[in-house]
Amino acid sequence: MDLETFKTFFSFSDPNIISVVIGAVLLTSSSAVVGIFTFLKKKALVGDAVAHAVLPGICLAFILSGNKNPVILLIGAFITGWLSLISLDYITSKSKLKEDTAIALVLSVFFGVGILLLTYIQHSGNAAQTGLDSFLFGKAAALVGRDLWIFSGVSVTLLLTVSFFFKELKLIAFDSAFATSVGLPVRAIDQLLTTLTVLAVVTGIQAVGVVLMAAILITPAAAARFWTHSVFKMTIIAAIMGAFSGLTGAYVSFIAPAMPTGPWIVMVISAIALFSFFFAPKRGVVSRYLQQRQLQQSIMDENLLKELFHIGEVDHQPFKARSLKAILEERYFPKNVLLQSLKRLKTEGYLTHKNGSWAFTKVGHKKGKRMVKLHRLWELYLSEYLKIAPDHVHEDAETIEHVITPEIEARLEQMLSFPQEDPHQSSIPY
Amino acid sequence: MTRIEANNPAVEFHDLTVSYEKKPVLWNIDMTLPKGALIGIIGPNGAGKSTLIKAAMGLLPLGSGYVRIFDKSLNDVRNRVSYVPQRESVDWDFPTSVFDVVLMGRYGKLGLFKRPRKADIEIAHDCLKKVGMQAFENRQISQLSGGQQQRVFLARALAQEADIYFMDEPFAGVDAATETAILAVLRELTEEGKTVIVVHHDLQSAAEFFDWIVLLNMRLIASGPISEVFNHKLLQDTYGGKLTVLAEVSELVRKRQIPNREKY
Repeated sequence: MDLETFKTFFSFSDPNIISVVIGAVLLTSSSAVVGIFTFLKKKALVGDAVAHAVLPGICLAFILSGNKNPVILLIGAFITGWLSLISLDYITSKSKLKEDTAIALVLSVFFGVGILLLTYIQHSGNAAQTGLDSFLFGKAAALVGRDLWIFSGVSVTLLLTVSFFFKELKLIAFDSAFATSVGLPVRAIDQLLTTLTVLAVVTGIQAVGVVLMAAILITPAAAARFWTHSVFKMTIIAAIMGAFSGLTGAYVSFIAPAMPTGPWIVMVISAIALFSFFFAPKRGVVSRYLQQRQLQQSIMDENLLKELFHIGEVDHQPFKARSLKAILEERYFPKNVLLQSLKRLKTEGYLTHKNGSWAFTKVGHKKGKRMVKLHRLWELYLSEYLKIAPDHVHEDAETIEHVITPEIEARLEQMLSFPQEDPHQSSIPY
Repeated sequence: MTRIEANNPAVEFHDLTVSYEKKPVLWNIDMTLPKGALIGIIGPNGAGKSTLIKAAMGLLPLGSGYVRIFDKSLNDVRNRVSYVPQRESVDWDFPTSVFDVVLMGRYGKLGLFKRPRKADIEIAHDCLKKVGMQAFENRQISQLSGGQQQRVFLARALAQEADIYFMDEPFAGVDAATETAILAVLRELTEEGKTVIVVHHDLQSAAEFFDWIVLLNMRLIASGPISEVFNHKLLQDTYGGKLTVLAEVSELVRKRQIPNREKY
């Protein structure tokens, strides 16, 4: 993988390269777009079953026709792909088997027959058979000439059909009972989506292969879901992710013609998905962890301010500086957690620090007072309205004091008519 | 059975029998429901309340009988009918916004391929306002509380501008403020002469909410104005007496997979 080949490839000067790139990008992005709805309807595994079920169709079409005309192979693939879906429906509706079992059965039976036929073809000595096994793991480099036109044509049809029916596909994926009630032809559109899925699989296998086809159908949708809350944006993002992985596949096919492209495409799209899983804003794991940590810290800070207020309540010196020891005597905190929290509160302007002791600023005192007030108001609410014994209300209030909003605070004050004391006869500070 | 026929019927159920996965859940429902009324369908769990309106919406195959709305078959009056499914029937983590869901109420009027027009968008805005959710327009639906979800569903139904509304448990799991808001909207609809049929599980509030009550427990117990049918005896029939024989027969039919009506 030297720089020279990289340059040759990405200058797109060779018409062969252009055709392979266009083909691979169209195939992967159209599969990704169709996959959005398979994903939203929670039918990911069905896509996998169909992908495996097209193999016997391809092999049978080859055996019957004796050549590799893509149109004939596509028709064969389409027929067994659909047949697998019909079997799936039949098994789930007529037997007591659950859908996952039915999927496992259909997938393995169809794929098994496919491998059997493929082995038969390879031993038959038909000279035209070379390259048929590239349907197993994909070979983007084979996307030239007539094949390119046919496969790209199907891909463009897929993209256009999805954009025509976008509104309907979305509604049915969200609420199919409602869609039926407004008179949409739900059954017909469901069948259309199934046909699109089969077609996406059938064309996608040239680039990715039957074994890994489900990855390019579903993974872009799953990855895109992390970045947006809109089906439309999700579709665009998935298409771009799919296209990028297709481009990589084409490049790999160019530098190493012997290598199957499917695994590479899947590696790239999976890396994108993994990255989304960890680093997407809001929904990503890292972002969620950070949110959680921030929440923990603010709870710790609020608790600390509350304890400092308690100490001042006892000796009536609210603004006196307190040593670490004095704080730890009031309530146990792990020392490093306590120190970090003290430092945070200092930078935020709630505390001042002098000679190892910490004192309230005005704002800090006010915030500490509010926490104590919320705690005691909630204790009183629990014992007055929910009739919970006074010795059981403290633990609850420890949690709830951190979530009460100013609006709820005002309502509690109203309901309890600005009470003076909590159930433990401690006075409520205003 | 106490059955009072409506003078000016909006819906007619005729000898309706419905099975759910081969198990009969509704037997021979015969009744008419009045136009312009707020109608409550009441009964215990498993009484077939949701099944009844699903059957009316053509979502379940009928074992026998038929449903006519405004004296026509459902397909001829789709544009005048609105259906609100149970809140739990959809995935609220679906990637879409509050406004988008309400706009879906216009899809039936739009037809295939057509994009929502300016007028549709305006109607959706108005409907969100009517249920007090205009501030949540761009909110992701995954962030809504149960009551807010229900209001969004109601707004979507309003956007359909129908003449008759079938609602599956619109008051289930909502807060007091939402309950009042929903009830006000439903009353407004009936004042405009529209018919509202609501599946409802709470007996206490049923007496305050509805003009007309349907008592259901696998078969029709009563249908009529609230003053005539909301009495101790009929409620006892609906909730009290265990329908052991009917339930047992249903179970047998399911086990032996007997078709609901004989072929010959």
